[in-house]
Amino acid sequence: MSSTPLNFTLERDGTGLVLVDAAGVRHQKVRPVRLFPLTAPTAWIGIVTAEGRELSSIEDIDALPNDVRQLLLEALANRDFVPVIRSIENVVRAANGHRWFVTTDRGPTSFETESDESIQQLGDSRLVVIDHRNTRYLIPDVNALDKKSRQRLERYY
Amino acid sequence: MPFVSFNKGPPSHQILIRSTPTDLTDTLLAHADTKLVSGERVLARFQTDLDASLHFHRGIILLTDKRLLHVEKARDAALGFLSWNLAEIEDLVLEELGATAAIHLMKGGVQIYEWRITSGHMREADAFLARFKERQQVLRSGTVSAQIEQAKAGALTAESAEDELEESESPGSLHNPLLRLFTFSRPWYKLMALGFALTMASTLSGLLAPWLTMGLVDNVLIPLQSETDSVHIHQVYLFSLKLGGAALLTWMLNWGKTFVIARVAERVTSRMRRETFEHLQKLSLSYFSRKRTGDLISRIGSDTDHISLFISINFIDFICDILQFVFTAVILFSINPLLALAALGPVPVVGWLVQRVRGHLRGGFAAASRAWSQMTSVLSDTIPGVRVVKAFAQEQREVDRFRAADQHIFDTNDRVNKTWSFFTPMIELLTDMGLLIVWSVGAWSVAHKGITVGVLTGFVLYIRGFYGRVESMSRFMASAQRAAASAHRVFELLDVKPDMPTNDGSRKIGRVKGEIEFRDVKFRHGSRQVIKGVNLKIAPGEMIGLVGASGAGKTTLVNLACRFFDVSEGAVLVDGVDLREVDVVDYRRNLGLVLQEPYLFYGTIAENIAYGKPHATRGEIIAAARAARAHDFIMKLADAYDSMVGERGQQLSGGERQRISIARALLIDPAILILDEATSSVDTETEREIQAALDNLITGRTTIAIAHRLGTLRRANRLVVMEDGRISEIGKHEELMHSSGTYARLHEAMMEVNNG
Repeated sequence: MSSTPLNFTLERDGTGLVLVDAAGVRHQKVRPVRLFPLTAPTAWIGIVTAEGRELSSIEDIDALPNDVRQLLLEALANRDFVPVIRSIENVVRAANGHRWFVTTDRGPTSFETESDESIQQLGDSRLVVIDHRNTRYLIPDVNALDKKSRQRLERYY
Repeated sequence: MPFVSFNKGPPSHQILIRSTPTDLTDTLLAHADTKLVSGERVLARFQTDLDASLHFHRGIILLTDKRLLHVEKARDAALGFLSWNLAEIEDLVLEELGATAAIHLMKGGVQIYEWRITSGHMREADAFLARFKERQQVLRSGTVSAQIEQAKAGALTAESAEDELEESESPGSLHNPLLRLFTFSRPWYKLMALGFALTMASTLSGLLAPWLTMGLVDNVLIPLQSETDSVHIHQVYLFSLKLGGAALLTWMLNWGKTFVIARVAERVTSRMRRETFEHLQKLSLSYFSRKRTGDLISRIGSDTDHISLFISINFIDFICDILQFVFTAVILFSINPLLALAALGPVPVVGWLVQRVRGHLRGGFAAASRAWSQMTSVLSDTIPGVRVVKAFAQEQREVDRFRAADQHIFDTNDRVNKTWSFFTPMIELLTDMGLLIVWSVGAWSVAHKGITVGVLTGFVLYIRGFYGRVESMSRFMASAQRAAASAHRVFELLDVKPDMPTNDGSRKIGRVKGEIEFRDVKFRHGSRQVIKGVNLKIAPGEMIGLVGASGAGKTTLVNLACRFFDVSEGAVLVDGVDLREVDVVDYRRNLGLVLQEPYLFYGTIAENIAYGKPHATRGEIIAAARAARAHDFIMKLADAYDSMVGERGQQLSGGERQRISIARALLIDPAILILDEATSSVDTETEREIQAALDNLITGRTTIAIAHRLGTLRRANRLVVMEDGRISEIGKHEELMHSSGTYARLHEAMMEVNNG
């Protein structure tokens, strides 16, 4: 279960990511899963089979050999979708909650949330906004937002 | 001691009832003292509260080193007295008789006397009997050990006397809850003083404007109109400047006052909330099982809010009112006594009216507060139980229940409003009457050159403010009543003594090996004897399966091992140390608890697993989850370990919740593990998963498992079968099956259910 020493290698073939374990068995179509996607995205990554069975887990991604790490990061980047909110342009009442207009690290967007519980606090200043389609938007540090955005947020949280 | 019981009825009544019997007790005690022969020492006393015909009737039994004395106040008012030498008494026997109990005094195999008590006093009766038996043993065993015993008994008496003193003082040392609020604000007395000073100053500055107006009218307006004198224009400027200054000053002082007072109020109520919650955490499990959640929530939530509002707004308004009242009266009289007398004419009427209204409101607000807590109770009952409500299609019934509770609030508020709606216009009418009198008397005075027009104007302005204050003062009465009711409810909670002190034993036990011994354990819950004498020794690392019909006392036994309750008799020993001597918090660090209905707090899964060890590393959390077979399903959740669970949030199945709670227990690496029907509420497939998780958990730990499932029971080193508060069989599964006793019967029934 510990990542060091590394008891597997990662490869890529036509089907996707392949994990070759210590016994030499090839597991195709494996995928990495972040175990703490919101509080510690880069620590603790699990590698699971297509069926969801865990093959291995990595505590520290930086401790991996370069090529393996590269493959892993690519695979993660391909699956990850947690836009980071950079600023909040507006929040208005919508039919069933609120509509947010925000600028994220992936560009400007808007989404709807349903209730107060759509905004969850993780730790002191980290917030996660979950929209009605279950997409997660991260605010890593509320205090780092600009003043206008913070005021808009305060009205709803 | 027996007088003090926890919150049985409305507290106001409690205080009333308390006073008389305490006096009576004193009389009885004093009388008993006169009966003592010299050198006789009282070892214990016990109060009876019924007579032979089961009428309420106080009496005292005293145990001295030589005799048993009984004093009572008979119905014909004479003090009755009886005594027996300890040597002639064979035994005292306590018998439960439903809601009452009897203590039989036995001599030569027959009962020679009998006392009756209500079952609420059973605990004390037990203690008294125990002390009696101790004393008798001493007397029988001879004089050598008697010396030692005597010293010990002396200590005991002193202890119990101290208890009494403490208990009689604590509940009502400050009867008025509003006065007690001030003890809470003591740390901020400087801020309070500042607030008071600002209040005084702002009230005074508010009175400046009418005063200045008088000069304005007399020296500027009248001369201007009559055009007799030439008015210097600079006087107009001067007056405007003065009036503007007064307004500015008042505004600034008011601002400061409101700011300071609101600060104090917030601090006081926040302290109240925190202390109440801290106190609540100290109370025992049995307290919580007696109380309605909604009621407790509304005490800490809305009642403290009422108090905050009262301190920050109403109370300070009231001070202002009084000050302005007095100042105005002084000013008016100093200007013109005759006019002042006329203007204040309706004041007695107002005073009488306020008094009447106050009486009405007091009842109204108390009722409203109760109605409110009733409604909160309905809410806190129905919302968590919504699944049951829906399953039994009882939505309409709950709606009706809520409507009834709400109707109650509606009615009580209506009642208050009825009084209120009459009162406010009435005050206005009286104000107008006052003004009318001022105008007419004033006009007459002006005509007779008694006063100037300016003075009259000033009077009218003052009197308006004056009656306005009267109205707000009566409003204060209302809010004071409400705040008093709230403060009372909060203090009532604060005054509940923890019936099992969390830290009476100071012995730090550290990490235990896990040997648990029940030694002659008896436990009484209220009047019911739940555990009737259990002897059991569990070796470190051993797994015990507790089996028995529900109500046999399994959970109670486990609760005693956790020291959620204290034993009534006997002792629970861990590693050979009596649990009562041990620091509870320290001991419980050794405990892992997995319950039938796992409770998850609002927070992430990682936080929930790390509940008992908040600083666990992520690696530890994952390892615990793996061992609990929770890792795989957690990984499939969108936010993995960061998923929100709890009352709301991510939906988890019963088995998943159970495995998280097992991971929670695993993470703290407990020496003693308690499994309370951990697998009884899940299906077989899930049970297998949980079983595997439990196997990891059990290894190397002393485990007490209450279980119905065979899977759990087979792993147990020994099975302990309980029946009606006693252990009826101990042995391995196979042995017990062969002996065809209770276990075989239970097992057969279980199999039938499972297969049928």
